[in-house]
Amino acid sequence: MDAVTYPNDSVVEFIQKHLIPLRVAFDAKPLSTNFNIKWTPTLITLDSNGKEHYRTVGFLPPEELIPSLLLGIAKSHFNGERFNEALSVLDKIIAEYPKSDSAPEAVYLRGVCKYKSTHKPQPLKEAYEQLQANYSSSEWTKRAYPYRLL
Amino acid sequence: MGKMLVWETKMDVALARAKAENKHILFDFFNPG
Repeated sequence: MDAVTYPNDSVVEFIQKHLIPLRVAFDAKPLSTNFNIKWTPTLITLDSNGKEHYRTVGFLPPEELIPSLLLGIAKSHFNGERFNEALSVLDKIIAEYPKSDSAPEAVYLRGVCKYKSTHKPQPLKEAYEQLQANYSSSEWTKRAYPYRLL
Repeated sequence: MGKMLVWETKMDVALARAKAENKHILFDFFNPG
């Protein structure tokens, strides 16, 4: 990460604009124990109360890190039931990083967000259809499979 | 030379900044080697 991803200008700009970067060694106690760290790099998205909302383990190139960080932010909004904020971030992932590994999960979560904010099932079906059309081999397409029947 | 990230190293400082700046935290557990 230090050799390739963190020095990337787009990554630096994104993190400086949207996040507070915090880093400690993998064996720094008590944090490593509290967060159950077993491998590096482990990247965790926290809200301003220190609550975890998303984590990844392993190297991410610049073109994957930014959408992954956006997904973490979106999940924080989703978990806090701030669905409009979550949808805004998810739409950004889908529009600007459609080929990233985070995009299929963003499509899935967007459908769930819309369902939870409207209580109408159609967005779940639309999410499945979009996943099947654009990310047919994704695990998120499999997870959305039941929604085809809605 | 391009821009560089400036990392916080203390959780309490990061949390205070996150609240003040209305941002989330990227928490990186890394191997210093």
